[in-house]
Amino acid sequence: MAGQSVAQKILARALGRDSVEVGEYVTVSADHTVCQELFWPGHQRNLERIGVGRIPRPDKAVMVIDHSTSAAMGSHHYQTHRSLRDWCTAQGIVNFFGPGSGLRHLVMVENGLARPGMLIFSDEGNIASLGAVGALNIPISTEVLVSLIEDQNWLAVPPSARIALTGRLAFGVTARDLIQTIVRDFGATDRLLGCCVEFTGEAIAGLSMDDRQTILASLFHSGAYTGVMPVDDVALAYVEARAKGRPYQVVEPDAGADYVLEAAYDLSALAPMVTRPPDLHGGVPVDDVSGQRIDQATIGSCAGNRLEDMRAAAAVLRGRQLAGHVTLYITPGSREVYSAAAREGLLEIFSDAGATVLAPGCTTCWGYQGQLNDHEVLISTQQFNYQGRNGSRLADVYLAGPYAVAAAAVAGRIIDPREMLAETREHA
Amino acid sequence: MGGTALRGRVWKFGDNISGDDGIIEFSIIREGFGKAFDEGALRAMCFRRLRPEFPTEVRPGDIVVGGRNFGHHNHVEVSVAMKASGITVVVVESCESGIIRRALNVGLPVMICPGITDAVADGEVLEADPATGAIRTASGQHLQSRPFSPRMVEIWQAGGSIPLLQREFAERRARESQEMDAR
Repeated sequence: MAGQSVAQKILARALGRDSVEVGEYVTVSADHTVCQELFWPGHQRNLERIGVGRIPRPDKAVMVIDHSTSAAMGSHHYQTHRSLRDWCTAQGIVNFFGPGSGLRHLVMVENGLARPGMLIFSDEGNIASLGAVGALNIPISTEVLVSLIEDQNWLAVPPSARIALTGRLAFGVTARDLIQTIVRDFGATDRLLGCCVEFTGEAIAGLSMDDRQTILASLFHSGAYTGVMPVDDVALAYVEARAKGRPYQVVEPDAGADYVLEAAYDLSALAPMVTRPPDLHGGVPVDDVSGQRIDQATIGSCAGNRLEDMRAAAAVLRGRQLAGHVTLYITPGSREVYSAAAREGLLEIFSDAGATVLAPGCTTCWGYQGQLNDHEVLISTQQFNYQGRNGSRLADVYLAGPYAVAAAAVAGRIIDPREMLAETREHA
Repeated sequence: MGGTALRGRVWKFGDNISGDDGIIEFSIIREGFGKAFDEGALRAMCFRRLRPEFPTEVRPGDIVVGGRNFGHHNHVEVSVAMKASGITVVVVESCESGIIRRALNVGLPVMICPGITDAVADGEVLEADPATGAIRTASGQHLQSRPFSPRMVEIWQAGGSIPLLQREFAERRARESQEMDAR
């Protein structure tokens, strides 16, 4: 028998088998199914059509209101909030997280719901960030309803690829710059298509849990299906603090595991990247777009809303003011991140600089807040840059890491954030 | 070919076609995100960016053949648009797993078949069987795709996951009530 990858091993365990074959169609039960609220009205109609009474495993359901953080005037979301809350109560679903709790991605790891070796069905590819704790995210879109109803669903065992990381990120360069580079290299190809990417290499020990989640959360733009990081001491310390005695199993790939592609990145060779609209693989060094005027900047979304993103924004914004024509929205990814940012004085720095802090949730990433007019330009840590993502189809969306976004908000145009960071460092 | 084979006229497309920003124009319909699908609007925009005549000339039973990385970045509306246009099966060189899921969930099979681009011309008739994975071109060439699992065939033939569950739950309820009566 050939060696098994991490994805194969986790799926085999879930099936009660020794091994699974790449490409094999299997029907499997996940440890959790995690679901957001936006499609709830449709799910509810389907539950009624099918005539579902009690779901078999309410303990496995994790329901999170993260896309619509407020029951705002003019929206229908307040009705969704009510009906989802009521349904969870009726079903005995303990893991219901109401508006303002944060994103599924963060809620799952912060509460120890995603742990090493677990199989998670979710509604989005970006929830691959759970791979930072060694859990395998299988995105099944709106079929989360099928998993809730049947406690199982089909999937094709994904092939695996391996990306080795060496070196250290240079001053002013972030994990976001790495993933934008990877997406630039693979996003317009089918080389990582459908793969579970296993990250490996000496550099990972130097990456924080936030860095690892940032990389995995945008990995799907490369064509990959999902991804995992090795569960090292850093990850284990994070998991142990949150597992509260619940079981987990660290899964490592077999030596002879088969990888359809192997690639390597030297982190020390990376520079701040900006992805141009409207393609996700349109990443260029920041210098190529330097001087581009912006009207709005946003820091948030599962691609960049963790505590280190907040710290990075604060490193730029401390003692500075936004350019007069710029609006900056900052959205901490969860209550935990929000509280930590408050304790560290980061929220005060944001407010003093002229930024607006929003309630934890997806907020500006999908245009729920911060809509753009025709010809306005946004720079954001968010996931997407297609036309119309944030309002007008005639607006442009540039994507970048938190340093570059905050620096652009101060300068009123895209600049290399290392200039401001170096000034800050000299000052200190 | 088996009894589950689909036969239809081919609409052929190239490599790296975006789902949201190619097959449909997601940014136009995103206001309806999370609401019931507007199938009329989706039909009217389906493939029009790449083939302006598609929405008016597509016929029920037609087949889409795609190249490599077909339909990358696709919300479920992409699958709904193709299904609502009358497409019965999509055969591609390669595609991400998500579109196979989303399409099957609404009853549209997507089959991966390397070599299909060279084997078939636009407008030709193609036969494809998701249950067996067998594909046959007008010239009689056979290609083989991975067969769907039995459960996937059930989902496809029921017209999607929800209709299948609807039927199975109704059968379950009927069985339970018979058992109650028998007691």
